[in-house]
Amino acid sequence: MLVLTAIILITLDLQNSSTISGLRSVFGTVFRPIESTTRVVTRPVNNAWHGIFDYNNVLDENDRLREQVAQQEGATIAAAASVRLAQELLALNGLPTLAGINAVTAQVIGDSPTNFSQTIEINQGSESGIRVGMPVLNAAGLVGKITKVFTDRAIVMLITDPDFALSIKVVNAPRAATTTTTIARSNAAVPSPVVPVDPGSSAGTTVETTTTTTTTTTIAGFTPTVTTLPAAPSGVSSITVPLASELAVRETGVIEGRGPSRQPIVRFIDNSLRFGDIQVGVPIVTAGGSQSLSPPDIMVGKVARVVERLGSAGPILEIELVADLSNLSFLRVLLYQPITEKPAP
Amino acid sequence: MNRFLTIMASRWTRLVLVLLIVLSLQTTVFTELRPFGVAVQVVLLMVVVAGSLFGVAIGSLTGLVAGLMYDMILPTPVGLGSLALGLAGATAGLLIYFFNEPTWWMRSIAVVVVSSLGEIYYPLVQATVGLDGWLQLRLLKVVLVVSICNLLLSPLAVLVCRWTLSERKTVA
Repeated sequence: MLVLTAIILITLDLQNSSTISGLRSVFGTVFRPIESTTRVVTRPVNNAWHGIFDYNNVLDENDRLREQVAQQEGATIAAAASVRLAQELLALNGLPTLAGINAVTAQVIGDSPTNFSQTIEINQGSESGIRVGMPVLNAAGLVGKITKVFTDRAIVMLITDPDFALSIKVVNAPRAATTTTTIARSNAAVPSPVVPVDPGSSAGTTVETTTTTTTTTTIAGFTPTVTTLPAAPSGVSSITVPLASELAVRETGVIEGRGPSRQPIVRFIDNSLRFGDIQVGVPIVTAGGSQSLSPPDIMVGKVARVVERLGSAGPILEIELVADLSNLSFLRVLLYQPITEKPAP
Repeated sequence: MNRFLTIMASRWTRLVLVLLIVLSLQTTVFTELRPFGVAVQVVLLMVVVAGSLFGVAIGSLTGLVAGLMYDMILPTPVGLGSLALGLAGATAGLLIYFFNEPTWWMRSIAVVVVSSLGEIYYPLVQATVGLDGWLQLRLLKVVLVVSICNLLLSPLAVLVCRWTLSERKTVA
């Protein structure tokens, strides 16, 4: 009888029965005031618990964060400028940018009560425009997606949940090399160094080797490269041209969660020669597209380990997420829906 | 009016009200206090104690009701929690059935064993409907922590369960 009842309920819910949805809604309405009261009553217990067990951790974390903030202050300004520039370029070319998508800021009000679901609850719901499937971010990057929406709250499935899947791009960084071609004009007054002129060549033509200084600053997810060239002597035009093979190559795959204790993985990466070897540390961003629930280029993480597989099956990538999912407080829900999900006018 | 009062005074009404409070404790205080990163399962504890005190039928029915209420607040399909907790309640009732006049320590053993089993039932049931990925090594830690915490909390749960599910004699 028990098994039969449970199976009927599961079947009804998996078929999106309106009765079950209605029941959930009614139960939520009854249960929320009780939960809120209990939350208020038990707050001293929570505070005491965290005071006893987490105090030293908080102190350590505070020190670490202070140091990290000091290190990143300068880098953040450079990154912000780069991001702004990139968004302007994307907007100029009519490409979608994150800046053009409305967002709702929400606060985390609860974790999953079970040990077998990686979800959190936020304090914004359908009345703020939130719909199922919308991506959720924090300041670092993607955190998860909306899986259930109520009037004034919503459930977010975290990336680490085994049911989470999202198409992503692996941005394989180019090898560290820059080619500088210097075209020397005939009879140019070049001070030094001067390569001895080949007797066979035309008189007065010189070939110069120019040194290039490259400064690289690594910020979470970004690797802006500033190339400083020495002042070109008059009469010499110096052009830095990246080779086509050095441009960032993007390959798509699907990121899947594996629970709280294991890093998410990326599958379905093509084992193509074009892509080359995937390097540890390369960024992973959302792929976007007309059917993806997320807009393109939201930072997800970086490759922590590459697990090669035999045959034509592509590698599996273990991903280190940029967002710290164990410590979430304020989140941003992007009010983004792909064209295929938008209701017809 | 009399019928309404009878319904209100029944142990099943008391059970629903008590489970609402237990569920609110589960979603607030026991979600925050996570020893070794594991959420203590007081709803499971109530079901296991009900089964060990009142037998298979009451245990499984308590599990069904508690699971249904739990399902209403979880994003997983409705019925999963009912099945897992119903099985846990029935298991607790079955286990205690084999003891002749069970003592407090026999019940404690039953609480530990069935709490462990109950915590394993949930990912098993999830896997049967395609929500797999939870049967991993971490489950051992979860089972251990939940069992120990349920053992520590069981004296209180026994008191609450006895008060909730015992039949009261009505005065005519």
